[in-house]
Amino acid sequence: MEKAIIAVVGGGTMGNGIAEVFAVAGHSVYLYDVALEIREKALFDITDRLRRKSGRGKLSEPVEVILQRIRTVDTLDELHQAELVIEAVVERMDVKQQIFSVLDQICSQTAILATNTSSLSITETASVTKHPERVVGMHFFNPAPVMRLVEVVAGQFTEAFVVEKVVQIASEVGKLAIRVTDTPGFVVNRVARPFYLEALRIAGSQVASVQAIDRIIKSTGFKMGPFELQDLIGIDVNYAVTASVYESYFQESRFRPHGLQRSMVQSGNIGKKTGRGYYSYDRQ
Amino acid sequence: MTASKILLLGEGPQSEEVAHWLTDRGDEVVRFSETLENYSSADVVIEVIRDSTLRQLALAHVETMISEQIPIFVSGLTAYVAEVASWLKYPQRVSGFQPWLLTSMDVLEVIRPLQMEQEEQWLRATLFWQERGKQVEQVDDCPGMVFPRILAMVVNEASFALGEGVASAKDIDIAMKHGTNYPFGPLEWADRIGLDEIISVLQGMHVHLGEDAYRPAPLLQKLTYAKRFGQSSGRGFYSYLAQTDGQGAAH
Repeated sequence: MEKAIIAVVGGGTMGNGIAEVFAVAGHSVYLYDVALEIREKALFDITDRLRRKSGRGKLSEPVEVILQRIRTVDTLDELHQAELVIEAVVERMDVKQQIFSVLDQICSQTAILATNTSSLSITETASVTKHPERVVGMHFFNPAPVMRLVEVVAGQFTEAFVVEKVVQIASEVGKLAIRVTDTPGFVVNRVARPFYLEALRIAGSQVASVQAIDRIIKSTGFKMGPFELQDLIGIDVNYAVTASVYESYFQESRFRPHGLQRSMVQSGNIGKKTGRGYYSYDRQ
Repeated sequence: MTASKILLLGEGPQSEEVAHWLTDRGDEVVRFSETLENYSSADVVIEVIRDSTLRQLALAHVETMISEQIPIFVSGLTAYVAEVASWLKYPQRVSGFQPWLLTSMDVLEVIRPLQMEQEEQWLRATLFWQERGKQVEQVDDCPGMVFPRILAMVVNEASFALGEGVASAKDIDIAMKHGTNYPFGPLEWADRIGLDEIISVLQGMHVHLGEDAYRPAPLLQKLTYAKRFGQSSGRGFYSYLAQTDGQGAAH
């Protein structure tokens, strides 16, 4: 069976990672971005990663063969042949809706329109289209070529066969696809909240130190403790996700952010990327 | 290390794990029974009873038979250790510990309640665990301690999500293992530790900390009422009964 033609909208980290996943699996991929420099950087980054993989013997084909499957384009019109479009632009509803209203018109009736988001409602993004039943969420995790999980999100009006088709395509490219309803944080970003928040409450109420909490949690089998992990993710990013889930659940107390997170963000010590967070890191 | 004769109070999988772990380290474990036995030869008492009334009765009963010097280690899962100590005539020998995953964790969370004022008593208490290979982490006296509190809340959130139909049990577990690198899915982990254990930690925090955030998920409450405690009872979030296909998730 012919492999579906894929279009990826947005050439940033997520977009070019997703394009790589599909190209490696043998799909033709259109990669759209308005900015020339982002298109160039996307190809450069993909090439760089593929060469390294090839060097480790992880590719079954030459890098050039895989790269030939990716075509960068600078207008959305050029995506009209795609059977699955995956939008991976900035997490802003107005930007996503603008793109979906165009995609809805230029793509074929049978094309599936997917949005890669961790925090925005699929139903809301779909509301600007004439056919919300073919709009679905595909939440990839960063880095997309490495992380196997994809949350396939059914919006209020998404047809069941659209979800199943996306699950099938994702599975065929080696991803672990799970089916999720369109609720704030989906599964991962919701169920992971207490891992950080309880740790923050425990530290904030002086029950145990940040270091002791991490040591205890790692002893149970976690690779990283909740504070090491916040430092890695970025305390600002982690705080923003918590605040977003909290607001989306109408200030449900389980999700209430903690003052210690905010204080860290206010201090500018937001983790590894600044050299200091809950721990200090040598800058290289 | 000197082997001890340990009187163990508690029933069920949790106390079995404690008994097993102690026996492996050369200790003699005596189980508490309702019939009036003489426990005066025990040199250590360890308590892991969940039910508040039962633990109060058992501790009071045992205290009448042992000398006031005998150290008593109680679970810090569901109540303040200071409260448990307050039930005793000689509360200054009571300290807390975290019994979950006792066999697999190198680290052991321990609590020095307010009544244990003498440094010597505390050193003796921590030495007991260190001699048996544990790296002790002292945490403040608060129900749920560290690991049980965090895990119980993760399981609770997964239970809310499952009950609300956000995803299947299997998909929730896959999501947490592969989306954020958890060693086990929260629901399969809950089935191992026991839903009765998980909910007692949540209830302990709900009662003692008094915050709505610790309210147990409706599904978790119903499963425990139905005695679907997990692996120990054959069914929990998943089914472990031989006649099923082995993969039968509750939802």
